[in-house]
Amino acid sequence: MAKIIGIDLGTTNSAMAVIEGGKPKIIHSAEGKNVIPSVVDPIKRIVGEVAKRQMVINPKQTVYSVKRLMGRRFSDDTVKKDLEILPYIVKEGKDNAVIVEVDGKEFTPQEISAMILKKIKEDAESYLGEKVEKAVITVPAYFDDSQRQSTKQAGEIAGLEVVRIINEPTAAALAYGLDKSHAHTIAVYDLGGGTFDITILELGEGVFQVKATNGDTHLGGDDFDKVILDYIAEEFKKESGVDLRKDAQALQRLRDAAEKAKIELSTSMETEINLPFVTVKDNQPQHLVMKITRSKLESLVAELIEKTLEPVKECIKDAKIEAKDIDEIILVGGMTRMPKIFSTVKDFFGKDPNRSVNPDEVVAIGAAIQAGVLTGETKDVVLLDVTPLTLGVETLGSVTTPLIPRNTTIPTSKSEVFSTAGDNQTQVEINVLQGERPLAKDNKSLGRFILEGIPPAARGVPQIEVAFDIDASGILKVSAKDKATGKSQSIQITGSTGLSKEEIEKMKEDAEKHADEDKKEKEKIEAKNQAENMIYVAEKSLKDAGEKVKKEVKEEVEKNIKELKDIIEKADAKDLQEKTSTLSQSIQKIGAGMYDDKGKEDKGKEAEADKDKKDGEDKKEDKNVEEGEVVN
Amino acid sequence: MVKSKSYKSSYLRALADYQNFEKRVEKEKEELVKTASKKVIIKLLPLLANLEKAEVFVKDEGLKLIKEDFLRVMKEEGLEELDVLNKAFDPSFAEAVEIIQGDEDNKIVEVVRQGYKLGDKVIQPAQVKVSKINK
Repeated sequence: MAKIIGIDLGTTNSAMAVIEGGKPKIIHSAEGKNVIPSVVDPIKRIVGEVAKRQMVINPKQTVYSVKRLMGRRFSDDTVKKDLEILPYIVKEGKDNAVIVEVDGKEFTPQEISAMILKKIKEDAESYLGEKVEKAVITVPAYFDDSQRQSTKQAGEIAGLEVVRIINEPTAAALAYGLDKSHAHTIAVYDLGGGTFDITILELGEGVFQVKATNGDTHLGGDDFDKVILDYIAEEFKKESGVDLRKDAQALQRLRDAAEKAKIELSTSMETEINLPFVTVKDNQPQHLVMKITRSKLESLVAELIEKTLEPVKECIKDAKIEAKDIDEIILVGGMTRMPKIFSTVKDFFGKDPNRSVNPDEVVAIGAAIQAGVLTGETKDVVLLDVTPLTLGVETLGSVTTPLIPRNTTIPTSKSEVFSTAGDNQTQVEINVLQGERPLAKDNKSLGRFILEGIPPAARGVPQIEVAFDIDASGILKVSAKDKATGKSQSIQITGSTGLSKEEIEKMKEDAEKHADEDKKEKEKIEAKNQAENMIYVAEKSLKDAGEKVKKEVKEEVEKNIKELKDIIEKADAKDLQEKTSTLSQSIQKIGAGMYDDKGKEDKGKEAEADKDKKDGEDKKEDKNVEEGEVVN
Repeated sequence: MVKSKSYKSSYLRALADYQNFEKRVEKEKEELVKTASKKVIIKLLPLLANLEKAEVFVKDEGLKLIKEDFLRVMKEEGLEELDVLNKAFDPSFAEAVEIIQGDEDNKIVEVVRQGYKLGDKVIQPAQVKVSKINK
């Protein structure tokens, strides 16, 4: 069987790994680096390091951070925010999709990502000396269906079958072999080039579940570099009066020097920045010579580090645990090499974080381990992901009826039989919902479709089986089938609509905040549904019974129907329930009255019934005999 | 049966991995011999760049000689200068740091830091200024 590679498709950098001789190994790019910058020139089709080198002259042609746009809708708030920062053209496409325009040509975020994946595929092939056709790709824990779907599509465009999509923090935990340890609750602190994520995972029976996730989509290593660069530039300006940031050439050298200083200060206490002939002032060459100590660096970036703790606290709160309950902490992302970050995280959790696996490579390594599980090269790991939000359908009164609750381990499928809400209803609309709120309008509609051709029947009679099926990559297929005719209809939830992280957070928050009122409203809707149903039953009973109903009973029922109808739109759940129950009692009289009459008319029949009963007893005796025989 | 089948498959897989590994080690060894001094050379490149910068300001014959001597030693170790000036900008060999208005598009008009290759690999792309027609 061919190799399956593990891919960390990152916002700033991507990485790949593969299992060799039973062990995960990072594959270096054709340029000899362990990571590939997620930068693409879609026109010239250049990717990575090389594409990055032309960013200055082709800013509108060099696409980076495209992961921020994956599976998004143009109207998403996060897209609007990103638009202000990204120098290339992002516009609205069909169905509110996000489109990147380069040189008048349109590209979807999937196509851009596919170019990165294609390079990864080719570099992996030249390293392995064999074709690579399958991959495991990681995504952030907060990615929703459409973002995962888009990632999968990107793989397909690149000629890779995406056999599994797994969460980045889960991959990191796998890389540390935590699936085999006794760790229960794991925190993954991921400070990348441009984003910060914190995720709390819980391990149970070999399965990782995302308890909570939080972060800052615009905080990362680049911000740290900028703070350092600004400091050096300011100091130099004080000394010489020249602002190096205004000189493109000097700025470039300064940028490299700032990054180098940052890296060096992770291992040494002091570093010297040495840029001879950095600029010219009054025809005199100027040299930049400056010492930076680790403590200076730490004071410069203290604020940024502090900024990561807010989401960490939120995440712990969401997971409904305390910092001390966390068994293992994993550091991901090159920035976590900074000793100050290590000590800040350590102080916060009161424990040493894990950092023995290279934090730039750890996610790709984990993806490779998962790939190894799938090819059978690594064993004893069962890795399954979970659904981030509850999935359900809309039912009568625009209530969300959940089918697959959040945090359900996938792959999974679930079906439930529903019916029609009106008489002679020949079609039903299935509205697929995602979210935690009880009412359909407060959740997100992932898609809808109509099942037609249901044979006319009274409400409640047709049986419509609605089935949800989520594959191991979290991609959802919903089908509806009329059991009488066998007619069915289905949809696969595709990438046109996506929830932003903020939306997910907001939805979860709202769900908590509105729990009480939601419950009340849901109760009211349910009471209303019951009331309507009771009115229907009552009217039907009266009609069916016709002349047989006594006049006073009929009047009483009609009065109760009217009373219930009068209040149905405005009354609260309690009143509705009371009136419904009154009506329910009064319609029992219809039936009771009819049986009474029948009883008088058919007195003779009672004898027969007795006889039946007797027959029954006889049979029972017979049975006893038989049993006796068996025993003997 | 099922078990022995799976053992055989793992064995074959491990064997294949090993053979591929051997091939790669062989290739890497060859590569290593060719570029054994790569690490040191990369570390020395900034020095060379600084000498070049100094040359612009210090018009001293002695400095020029030092630089040339230095470069000669490096070339003996396999270092080659990338010749990019006045050619079309190609990000495979150069990194653009500035745009200069000119009468030609996408041409390298100035090299601010020399680029080098070692063997057939670019170990340091040139940093260049690129011309753009003012539209």
